[in-house]
Amino acid sequence: MSTTVSAELAKALEGFIIKEAKLADEGQYEAWESLWADDAVYWVPLRDGDDPTQQVSHLYDNRRRLATRIRQLMTGYRYSQLPISGMRRLISNYEFFAEDDGRYRVEANFFLPEYSIQSIHDFRIWSGRYVYTLSAKDDDFQIHTKKVLLVNGTEPVPTMAFLI
Amino acid sequence: MSKIDYHHLIQEDKIHGSLYIDEAIYEDELEKLFYSSWVFIGHESEIKKRGDYITRDIGRSSVIMVRGKDEDIQVIVNRCQHRGNLLCNESQGNKRNFTCPYHGWVFGLNGDLLDVSYPGGFDKPLEELNLEVLVTDSYRGFVFASFKKPTVSFDDYLGHGKALIDRACNMSPNGKIDLKGGWIRQHFDANWKMLPENDTDGYHVNYVHQSFVRAIDSQYGDFVGAEDTIKGVIKNWGNGHTEIDFAPGYTKTLDWLGSTPEKVKSYVESMTATYGKETADKMLYDGPPHACIFPNLFLAEMNIVIFQPTGSNSAVQWSTPMFLDGASELDFKLLRQSEGALGPASFLLADDASIAERAQKALGAGTPWCDLSRGLNRETEDSDGVITSHMTDETSNRGFWHHYRSLMTGELS
Repeated sequence: MSTTVSAELAKALEGFIIKEAKLADEGQYEAWESLWADDAVYWVPLRDGDDPTQQVSHLYDNRRRLATRIRQLMTGYRYSQLPISGMRRLISNYEFFAEDDGRYRVEANFFLPEYSIQSIHDFRIWSGRYVYTLSAKDDDFQIHTKKVLLVNGTEPVPTMAFLI
Repeated sequence: MSKIDYHHLIQEDKIHGSLYIDEAIYEDELEKLFYSSWVFIGHESEIKKRGDYITRDIGRSSVIMVRGKDEDIQVIVNRCQHRGNLLCNESQGNKRNFTCPYHGWVFGLNGDLLDVSYPGGFDKPLEELNLEVLVTDSYRGFVFASFKKPTVSFDDYLGHGKALIDRACNMSPNGKIDLKGGWIRQHFDANWKMLPENDTDGYHVNYVHQSFVRAIDSQYGDFVGAEDTIKGVIKNWGNGHTEIDFAPGYTKTLDWLGSTPEKVKSYVESMTATYGKETADKMLYDGPPHACIFPNLFLAEMNIVIFQPTGSNSAVQWSTPMFLDGASELDFKLLRQSEGALGPASFLLADDASIAERAQKALGAGTPWCDLSRGLNRETEDSDGVITSHMTDETSNRGFWHHYRSLMTGELS
């Protein structure tokens, strides 16, 4: 069973997600990585309902692969993010839930304009739904899972080497 | 007749940049390569049951690959013969027949027109308006087709490609692959030919994938070094089929899987049971092929890849893990490896796409020549006509382009 959370807790969870979005937009890679728990799953399936043990995803990172992703971005030779895309994402239509295991589930829609400046200087729109599992850590939160449901995940999509 | 002088544009040691950007050349390619020659459509394992179908785009035409009532597989144009409507809008599914959403015409799984609504006003024999069926053939479940009957037989077209497909399928202890993992589709703002060229280019790894090599410990790390330490080889198998053979550079069994015999014990045992110890040991050491089958199929080690042109300046690369029948314990690893290597968020292809798009942009600014001479001074050719050279040589791309030229000039089709 999941239940709704207090307005105060919702505000704090929203603040955490806004912080995470800002770090991703600005390519503050180490700070972004520090938000993740050891059991991290950073996942972009092709479509909602896909089983990651049976079906291929755009990405399905555990904590170790997520660290590799960050190391690669920080080498200075990740051409698909060199320089980093211009990004400012908007997150809205939040729903906050407290789960039985003490974790929080936050779902929200996102709208991510990306100015892809690595090759053809293309302005792109990414959109979909974020589904987070978070838990309290110290005076803040940590991310256990972030599932990104693209509205067009089963269609051809261009390079997505940034943190979505 | 074509006014484009392909003998001028494609020479022994250089090709002209217009081949990547010229609209007239793109139209000519659709006609000669994608509508009148053999192209890869899909794999039988994608449509296991009667009525299962997938849709694919070949050039500007959508086609349906379907398993019909005698379990036979057909490739049919996805267009109603009445007023031209798309029959199937989904990428896959199961149907008893194809009913057009516009006026309700019903076609069988073999494309035959079965029924017309309000038949009183329709006085033609039904069989005059059956769906258009492609010429289709298959090898070990790989289905190829052509809108027009190619002058080259399917066997002659595949040539040494059969041995490459055999090597891929034989990685399964049952000799069968299963493409059930779903397809990632990555959009490239680059000409489609840059995809097969790049995928069997052994020269770019140190540069384009430098960030990957630095960030991760993988089998590719072994290929980074001085020119004379690289042991892998490049091969032109003829008919435009090309390969990077990594095997000579591997240092241990299952290097290609990033694994060891201890970690995948049951796979090793079932391979040994099927092929015998000596053969199985060699297969598990050498790994699957990394080879392109002209023009649109890539046997990408433990993945299958399709190249789809969508314009002179854009293409889509499809990728799916190559699951092995009888070795499902590898599925999870293969999924994660596929995502790591291929697709828009991957460690490799994301960078290949950006580099290809930069090339497209630079070529669009003028009409320069691109050099294609690397390795001409050190290739060897065997009695079968297969050309081998240093892994970083452009032997593969010359193989691609010179076959391309023979099709575009009409010397072959």
